[in-house]
Amino acid sequence: MRSNKGRNRFLALCIAPATILFFVFMIIPTINVFRMALTDAGAFTAGKFIGLANFVTLFNDKRFIIAMQNTILLVVVVTIITFALALVFAGILTREKIKGQNFFRIVFYIPNILSVVVIAGVFSAIYDARQLPDGTPFGLLNTMIRLFHDPVTWLDERHVIVSIIIAMVWQAIGYYMVMYMASMSAVSASLYESAGLDGAGRITQFFQITLPLIWTNIRTTLTFFIISTINMAFLFVKAMTSGGPNGASDVALSFMYGQKDANLYGYSMAAGVVIFIFSFALSALVNKVTKRDVLEV
Amino acid sequence: MKKRILALGLTAAMGMSLLAGCGGGKTTETTAPEKSNAPENPPVVEETTITVAALASGYSETYPAMWQEVCDAFTAETGIKVNLIHEKGLEDAITPSMQAGDYPDVVHLATGRDAGLTEQMIKDNLLADLTDVLSMNVPGESVKVGDKIAGGFTETSLTNPYNDGKTYLAPMFYSPCGLFYNEGLLEEKGWSVPTTWDEMWELGDKAKAEGISLFTYPTTGYFDAFFYALMYSVGGPEFFEKATRYEEGIWDSSEAQTCFDIVAKLASYTHPLTPAQSSDQDFTKNQQLVLDNAAIFMPNGTWIVGEMAEAPRADGFKWGMTALPAVEAGGDGYSYTWFEQAWVPAGAPNVDAAKQFVAFLYSDKACEIFAKGGAIQPVLGVADLLEGDNVMFYSIYDNGAKAAMGNFAAYNSVAGLGTNREVFFDPVNGLVSGTTSEADWIASIKTASDQMRANLK
Repeated sequence: MRSNKGRNRFLALCIAPATILFFVFMIIPTINVFRMALTDAGAFTAGKFIGLANFVTLFNDKRFIIAMQNTILLVVVVTIITFALALVFAGILTREKIKGQNFFRIVFYIPNILSVVVIAGVFSAIYDARQLPDGTPFGLLNTMIRLFHDPVTWLDERHVIVSIIIAMVWQAIGYYMVMYMASMSAVSASLYESAGLDGAGRITQFFQITLPLIWTNIRTTLTFFIISTINMAFLFVKAMTSGGPNGASDVALSFMYGQKDANLYGYSMAAGVVIFIFSFALSALVNKVTKRDVLEV
Repeated sequence: MKKRILALGLTAAMGMSLLAGCGGGKTTETTAPEKSNAPENPPVVEETTITVAALASGYSETYPAMWQEVCDAFTAETGIKVNLIHEKGLEDAITPSMQAGDYPDVVHLATGRDAGLTEQMIKDNLLADLTDVLSMNVPGESVKVGDKIAGGFTETSLTNPYNDGKTYLAPMFYSPCGLFYNEGLLEEKGWSVPTTWDEMWELGDKAKAEGISLFTYPTTGYFDAFFYALMYSVGGPEFFEKATRYEEGIWDSSEAQTCFDIVAKLASYTHPLTPAQSSDQDFTKNQQLVLDNAAIFMPNGTWIVGEMAEAPRADGFKWGMTALPAVEAGGDGYSYTWFEQAWVPAGAPNVDAAKQFVAFLYSDKACEIFAKGGAIQPVLGVADLLEGDNVMFYSIYDNGAKAAMGNFAAYNSVAGLGTNREVFFDPVNGLVSGTTSEADWIASIKTASDQMRANLK
């Protein structure tokens, strides 16, 4: 009995540091976010309780609506394109005999090692819309496009979101491709052989064998990816456009961050709460929708 | 048993080391100044140490030791030691400790920056009243601060934000703003600098025929100085006063309409790439348009010369600067006087010593040191310290342009309202790229202006 008590005490002491830190740096700040969202706090003032007024304003704030729309657009489009391309590339690199397989693997993975600021610098050169007086474009993309189309102003109000989507997809593909390659190589080759004997083509094999067998992996990464896209979108916007021009590339988190500068901490936290709930709901939804019976061989 | 004690000890040590990071910063911060800032022969009068936080701006790039030298000179003069925080992103360096109640004594940080720290201090009434500094003697001199500061500088809403005759922010480094251009290009083409907006549009058409745009701007943030000067030249000081206090119906007046029309028309003459490059990351590409002769005019300040010093430029390039054209022939041309501010937080531990430091910023010694970095204090007779391009820039007021000063009045933060820049100037990007109409722009200004008036400080 005595030794049991001591053992428990010892265990409690062991987990105390982690628990305390988790409480101080995770739980309490999260509660504070919800609490502050109900006040009109500023940078140096605690503010008074104003109920749900911040949320009412938020849902009528044109800038927030645009920011939310952009966020949803990015989450949907970037996820679909990245996953489609990552799966296809992974499929090709694991199943097909291609010269320089490792080279491609490294090339695709490199963007993931680069910091977002470096990527912003690279894309600033790619998207450069300036031209020499004779019409020769500075930017890489416009130099190529010029062959069949007039140069495009990539970072103007109409195209800025497309430009961010391209950069985000470019950055994310490699990481997910490598993940899928790992799980695809675990799929037994005999399955493909027998499917081949039954007359299934490459594409049928991909959809009937590869995808179902790595589905668990796809599900997990999908949830990760959606959450990280919400965060990455902020980094890309901050490093590439600062939300401009005229708020056209604002995303939810950059909107939230921007409110701090206007001394609206309470309002900023209200936006934080909405994003928090939005991310949770979205992850739950994705989890639910993608649920399948786990196939194992 | 021994083992258990050892394990307990180790656990405790681990816990302590994890938490140790939280409390460490403070002690190092307070001991540092004595090491680095003690002058060689300090006249020990008082044992006070003040903390001065100064933004490292373009001027500091020209002459990095600028602030340290001023602080050393202050210590030599008064015996008050100075701990200098000198950073580019000053807000990030000082805001966290300020929120914890640990304020620097003097802060040199202008309004109109993205992070808006100075505006937050104004809105929350957290600045110490500096009115009595004006009647203090400059340390080491027998002149009053108020008599040294040039006329008008302590009478604007930038220094007296609450419109109550009290000065809360000390005017610092001033710079005439105007339209910057390549004088070499105009000479080469035989074009003259327009003195009225009609001449401006004529020049715009001539330039367009040669594939040159009339106008560009670095970011929409540069429209504040431009728009203030425009309001002055259209309606004079009276209209400016009313408009910047969001008076009811002011945006329906003919003066306001003229201002909006000029900006909207100018938008149609603006280089089409301007909005796409008007971010904090790419704005130098817009400035480069002027250096490359792709655009003629841009609103800017005298710091542009240093900022673009390393940039490639067209043959025969020579900086020129002009005031905003007058609305009618014979009307007044205005140049906005942009200046920075220094302030003392009300929560500063050494307010009296801080005020002495602010007073010292106007001493001949400090002015000379600042001038080495091209930073010009708003002090009478400072013209003798000017060098290079600055001689031409600062003579703009001698050449007939009138000085425009002031800014939009501060209002309490309201959720969803946006800042002055977001409401008034960011939509100019939309005007240029054709996604916002002039009518929409004016309508949103009117709605926001009503709310700003209702929340005036």
